[in-house]
Amino acid sequence: MRHLSSLLLCLFLFAAPALANASEEVRSLLKDKIDAVLMLIQDQTMDKALRDDQIITIITPVFDYQTMAKLSLGKKYWPTLSQTKQEEFSDLFIERLQQSYLEKLDLYSDEKILYGEPQTKGKKVYQPTTLISKDSRIDMLYKFYRAAEEWKIYDVEIGGVSIIQTYRSQFDGVLSEGTIDDLLEKLKTDGAFVIPAPDAEAARAGSE
Amino acid sequence: MDRPTSIGGAKLSLILIVLVTSLSGCATHATVTDQPAPFVVQPETFTPQVNEDEFELEAEFEEAATEPVSDPLSGYNRVMTQVNDKLYFWMLKPVSQGYGAVVPEGVRLAVGRAFRNLLMPVRFTNNLLQLKPKRAGTELVRFVLNSTIGVLGLGDPAAESFGLQAYPEDFGQTLGHYGIGGGFHIVLPLLGPSNLRDTLGRVPDSYLDPINYIDDSKTQLAVRVYSQVNRTSLHIGEYESLKKDSVDFYTFLRDGYEQHRKQQIKD
Repeated sequence: MRHLSSLLLCLFLFAAPALANASEEVRSLLKDKIDAVLMLIQDQTMDKALRDDQIITIITPVFDYQTMAKLSLGKKYWPTLSQTKQEEFSDLFIERLQQSYLEKLDLYSDEKILYGEPQTKGKKVYQPTTLISKDSRIDMLYKFYRAAEEWKIYDVEIGGVSIIQTYRSQFDGVLSEGTIDDLLEKLKTDGAFVIPAPDAEAARAGSE
Repeated sequence: MDRPTSIGGAKLSLILIVLVTSLSGCATHATVTDQPAPFVVQPETFTPQVNEDEFELEAEFEEAATEPVSDPLSGYNRVMTQVNDKLYFWMLKPVSQGYGAVVPEGVRLAVGRAFRNLLMPVRFTNNLLQLKPKRAGTELVRFVLNSTIGVLGLGDPAAESFGLQAYPEDFGQTLGHYGIGGGFHIVLPLLGPSNLRDTLGRVPDSYLDPINYIDDSKTQLAVRVYSQVNRTSLHIGEYESLKKDSVDFYTFLRDGYEQHRKQQIKD
């Protein structure tokens, strides 16, 4: 009992300042993750498959993939699915998100990232960043919410385009005309073609 | 130095007419509220493992869904998206890749900066029209620095040495700034996704684009194509990647475009 109360005291002492400084916490959390990913990308000697695995291991704790999967279908569709279909959808969707993230990393290599002032909105914290690449600046907004005891990303906006929002409207389009099986089929097959590497030869092989 | 008034009285008054006509419509345009409507939990319609946090997050996306993109031309738009897709894969991409294989990246980046430098009058004028004189001033200073020290805009010393970033604005954004909605979505041949407002906005902007003042129409076209090829050569793989991510590419491009423009207008 004494142990429990001292534990609670500890939790209280440490949790209170952490919450008060939520935005700072989110910024350093994101920065640590991105720095770790950038370090891996800059290591040219590393095997790509191994590197990709490590990148996913780094970012997985900070992305709330399950919630992203639910949000992408929304309450209009998610609750109507059986648990098996929910799981099948989530697996496919999460795989797609991760592959998409890795591919985007392949497209950029020498970017610099600026971190803006985090904006607190209730239980949510938005962390704006700017990605400076060779010839452009792209605003990226990482949207965090407080999940249990951690901050988790539930959406990312790239140049104002919300990943979840665009998936929602696409999925809504498919589901309003077809069934969940149609959508699952599309998630399995669509986009299965290979993305060209930036160098010319590999790219030509991958074009339509 | 090009001054915006030097484009001629007739053209300027056209801009003003468009602006004034558009302004008259802004009073009726609904504004987006910041506060999401409180979300009512209906436990019986949900699986039990869904927690309350997710409802709060859900509300954010439902709010956005209440303003669907107006798309009466979706049939035509989908066809034109296909046409543009083929033009990209069959013409623009192979040409850009060939060009990129021959011309070093450093040169292509410099050429891209020079073309962007030339569009200063568009950014300057639209910043002024949106009553952002400081940004307009920055655009002028950038133009002077980059055209001289930066050698015809090939370099960007204004950003690199003076920390002065460009403030891209176009007439579509200016109209949006004054509350004009996008109107219906329309996919333009070659140019891709747009909407009624932004398509109309191209007209006044074109008067501020120096390339339009090249007399010989063949040269003018060649310069435009070259600019596009140069830009594409620096972004090979991005279009493909977006296409691969999507389940319904047309819907993705359409909604992505409209969301992106909203963001640009907000800045």
